Amino acid sequence: MYAQPPPQPYGGPYSHGYYPQQPPPPPAYNPDPATFRRDYQNLLAELKVNSRPIIQNLSMLAQDFTRYVDIVAQCIEVHIRRVPPWMKLPAFYVLDAVSKNVFDPYARAFSAFVVPLFLETYGQVDQQTRSKMEEMLLTWRSGSPTGSQLFGAQAQAAIERGVWRTDGPSSSNPSQNQISRAQVLSELEYTLGQKERALQANPADTTSQNHISVLHQLRKLVEAGGVSQEELQQILAQLRTLMRSVVPAAVPPPAPTPQPVAPLPIAAPAPVAWPNPYPQPPPAPMYPTYDTVKTEPPTPVPGPDIVGLMAKIRGVVKTESGDIAVVDDATKQPESDLQREASRRYRDAILAQDIKLTTADITRKRPGITEFLYSRLTSKCKQCGLRFPGADDGPEMTAHLDMHFAQNRKANQNVGRGHSRSWFVGVEDWVQDVKGKGREGDRPVNAKAAAAAADAQREKELRAQYVVVPRGEEATPVSCPVCKEQFKSEFLDEDEEWVWRNAVYKDDRVYHATCQAGLLAQRLLRSDLAASLRSHSSTPEIPLRSGKSVAGSSDNAAPSSQRTSVSPPPDSKLLGTKRKVDDTDAAISPEADGTPRSKKLALESE
Amino acid sequence: MASSEASRQWTLEPETEYRFELDPDASLAIKLVHGNAEVFGAELAANRPYLFGQECKAAIYTWQGCTIEMSCRRAQRFRSAYRRPNVTGHPSTEYVSEETPMASYANVHNALEKMRVRALRHLRGSPVPPSERVESTEPPRVLVVGPENSGKTTLCKILTNYVVRTGQGWSPLLVNLDPSEGGWAAPGAIGVTPVHTPLPTSTPASPLGTAATSAPTALSSNALLPLAYWYGHAETRRNPLLIERIIRNLGENVKDKYQAHPEAQVAGFIVDTPSSFAVGNNEDRQRLLKATIDAFKINVILVVGHEKLNVELQRAYGSSISVVKVPKSGGVVELDHLYRERIHKFQLHTYFYGQVIQPPPGITSASLGSETLSSIVLAPSSTILNFGDLSIYRIGAETMAPSSALPIGAARAVSETQAVAIDPAQPGSGLLNAVLAILAPPANGDDAERYDEEILDLPISGFVVVTKLDIPHRKMTILAPNQGSIVGRTAVIGSYEWQE
Repeated sequence: MYAQPPPQPYGGPYSHGYYPQQPPPPPAYNPDPATFRRDYQNLLAELKVNSRPIIQNLSMLAQDFTRYVDIVAQCIEVHIRRVPPWMKLPAFYVLDAVSKNVFDPYARAFSAFVVPLFLETYGQVDQQTRSKMEEMLLTWRSGSPTGSQLFGAQAQAAIERGVWRTDGPSSSNPSQNQISRAQVLSELEYTLGQKERALQANPADTTSQNHISVLHQLRKLVEAGGVSQEELQQILAQLRTLMRSVVPAAVPPPAPTPQPVAPLPIAAPAPVAWPNPYPQPPPAPMYPTYDTVKTEPPTPVPGPDIVGLMAKIRGVVKTESGDIAVVDDATKQPESDLQREASRRYRDAILAQDIKLTTADITRKRPGITEFLYSRLTSKCKQCGLRFPGADDGPEMTAHLDMHFAQNRKANQNVGRGHSRSWFVGVEDWVQDVKGKGREGDRPVNAKAAAAAADAQREKELRAQYVVVPRGEEATPVSCPVCKEQFKSEFLDEDEEWVWRNAVYKDDRVYHATCQAGLLAQRLLRSDLAASLRSHSSTPEIPLRSGKSVAGSSDNAAPSSQRTSVSPPPDSKLLGTKRKVDDTDAAISPEADGTPRSKKLALESE
Repeated sequence: MASSEASRQWTLEPETEYRFELDPDASLAIKLVHGNAEVFGAELAANRPYLFGQECKAAIYTWQGCTIEMSCRRAQRFRSAYRRPNVTGHPSTEYVSEETPMASYANVHNALEKMRVRALRHLRGSPVPPSERVESTEPPRVLVVGPENSGKTTLCKILTNYVVRTGQGWSPLLVNLDPSEGGWAAPGAIGVTPVHTPLPTSTPASPLGTAATSAPTALSSNALLPLAYWYGHAETRRNPLLIERIIRNLGENVKDKYQAHPEAQVAGFIVDTPSSFAVGNNEDRQRLLKATIDAFKINVILVVGHEKLNVELQRAYGSSISVVKVPKSGGVVELDHLYRERIHKFQLHTYFYGQVIQPPPGITSASLGSETLSSIVLAPSSTILNFGDLSIYRIGAETMAPSSALPIGAARAVSETQAVAIDPAQPGSGLLNAVLAILAPPANGDDAERYDEEILDLPISGFVVVTKLDIPHRKMTILAPNQGSIVGRTAVIGSYEWQE
């Protein structure tokens, strides 16, 4: 009664573009062109919200009547141009579904107008819809049956340039394509999403696991800011290489348990006999790795030495208290000096105010307030009205906009899931919480906190992995090839087995899951940065951790530095009273956070 | 969205404010077209409609002058039956005032800001110029008192918003001791929350920003993390001993937080109080004031528009605390009992279901962006529990005469702070439709650490409402805020009821 099953939207966690092919309907419906046009228009007009059935229906019709390709294309184009902005996105989903499912002839027909249509629409819709469109745009990169760009490389590049071009001095200099952090973050998120889904479909896929942890680290770096154009470009190149390596590999073994989430995001139809209608154009200068599609082994990924550069920019250090501190280097120093100086001047100006806290003073004096509320804070956020000192692209404002960006993304990802009031935090957490630190998992206030939370989650998952000790070898000492620590076995009640915690098998050897992740991160990034990440954040405090598992306590999946918490964890299935009434949301939510099911079970069983 | 015929533009001179009062079901969208403006201290972004609804009474103030554009959706029932349906119109009351107490409030803010700066210098051990050695280095710990309808909460909000707007990274605490306010929890609770970004004003359902939900919000003030305790009644006189105890608990929690994070205390805090701190039964009032001042180590008292109280507090505390009288705004609206009851209903509804304000025509929801909390729809969950799943208590007796009214020599059968178990199987338990506060499980699960009155010292993890009692099967249906398991197995009933 309270929790209606949410309507089935098309998309959601980006999943469209594929559904089981159904047999064509009986040939009872055999319209002439005019009738077909009218029917198709009418059906399109019904598409006011993101409705999967209508979109499937429209896609199916298009599939059955490929002879009317021009009519379908016209209808969709006219419809998108005519309807108000809030109706445009669902229609784009039709365009997307039709061109992916019936690539030939539709993708070619659409490619005639898709560039201006997309950009025009993008300019009219709100931020949320924009993010959705960006997400869709990214799937078009490898949306054709052969894994190449859905509408051709030139169309793809043109749209991307329109969407992500940065305004400013560089726009007068077209030879130098500026890449914005927003674009890089957008692609990072997308790649992460794909990887996480791949992992979900195939929990044993350690490569994806490791890619994910590397991507999280990358995101942290980009979000922290101060990454140069050159580096952004290289990160993009890396990402695209990575994505290409994941697409062809997207044929998972059947999921071990029924998956509530839609099948694979980019499940290309069998790549046989699909003519590639697009001549391979020369690579656009902006996308050096863009035009060729071939299967590559996931690791090592060839690419420019992105990381060496990045290592030069920042070192990420995990402090004892467990929060992430970004250590600024010389290039960043002047800025923070400026900030300090501005704060000092603010304090001097406040102290210079001739005002005492007395009834007489506060009623008689003219307040010098506008200076502090307005003139000293020159940049104002267009979204929420909050002001910051310094220029519009100053560090505070940038961090603030990143926060909005992350929030908007989150809002988009959560569409259709329904929201609820959270339980309040416990006393301990409230006392410890400072400026958003320690917020319930998924609601960090800033990018850094988000990255830290994501890291903690990854580490927790890694540590929850275990390897069953081979029979008869319980007494044989085995140590991790990376950190040389010996594994301590413990008895797992659920499985009635002796296991090694935080362990994975790899090439017939047993590694610490955290060490192995770090190792792969290092290999993948092939550089000293990865090494620093690994030694600082991926595998800290190894002796301490092992000590904990010796104790055999059941909570050692949590990072050892975590304080005891009385707040409910986001997924607190074990606390208090169990829910007893229908759980409609459960059908979509359990896997939505990207945790593979098998590991989730492991986590829950503790 | 160009200005349609339904919208009007007004230009406000510097240091004036546009005040409006909305009827039930009416909504108002205000867009800042030009200049700078703020609503109770929270600056408006330009060209974004801000929605107000649910009998909101508020004001748009401008320090330097501005132009605002309003469109209003009038309540249907005020529409003449003979005319063409036209849902646009004006708020039931709207005017521009040139007399505001904002200059005084800004002076108070600056004076408090000086205290913060000195406290920060002291904490960091910065050298102090000789001329300032006499000044205190304590951060401001402000108590705001005043009679009913004097604008205490608004003053607290303005002062808090100015602190977070300075760009200095201050995060003050906002303490709400008025159980009828409904703060971030629900009516009947009092609490404290850190504030990082300006508190928005939209409806009286969330007067001090809203507590965290699973919905992503652009302003962190729409996802506050309060620490709240359950008092359970609107009036402090109902059980003064209980509220005194939880006020002291809050003071302890704040102290603990500052001990854990010394830098956090520099921003100080602002304590909003119920009007019973200013007027009414003298004995209880003095005791609660004293308890609050002790618990929070108050060093500034702002008395809003009450000469006599100001003099009284000067005498009692003036030697150690700065007692300052601040003017009352002419814009405050007298609120009657029925209004407060309606607001309590809104607040409980908002706690479970969130709120949607019907925007005026011509204002598309798309243009609201992710900012406003006026469009957060929440999904609560209905759950069937066995009677044994929750231990339900009432604190004190159901009806309680004040101690002074008891016959001489008579003792209470049930003391004011005694937890009395309620058996849901008993007819007349009063559970049906009752709002229950779920108490957070004790931090220390060790039974040896438990004590008799622990139930009085546990904060709230949330609220549920009993929607159905099935005594033969010993089951009850409750409405919980979310689908997760209920955090805590102890519930306390108060005097609030709610039905959809």
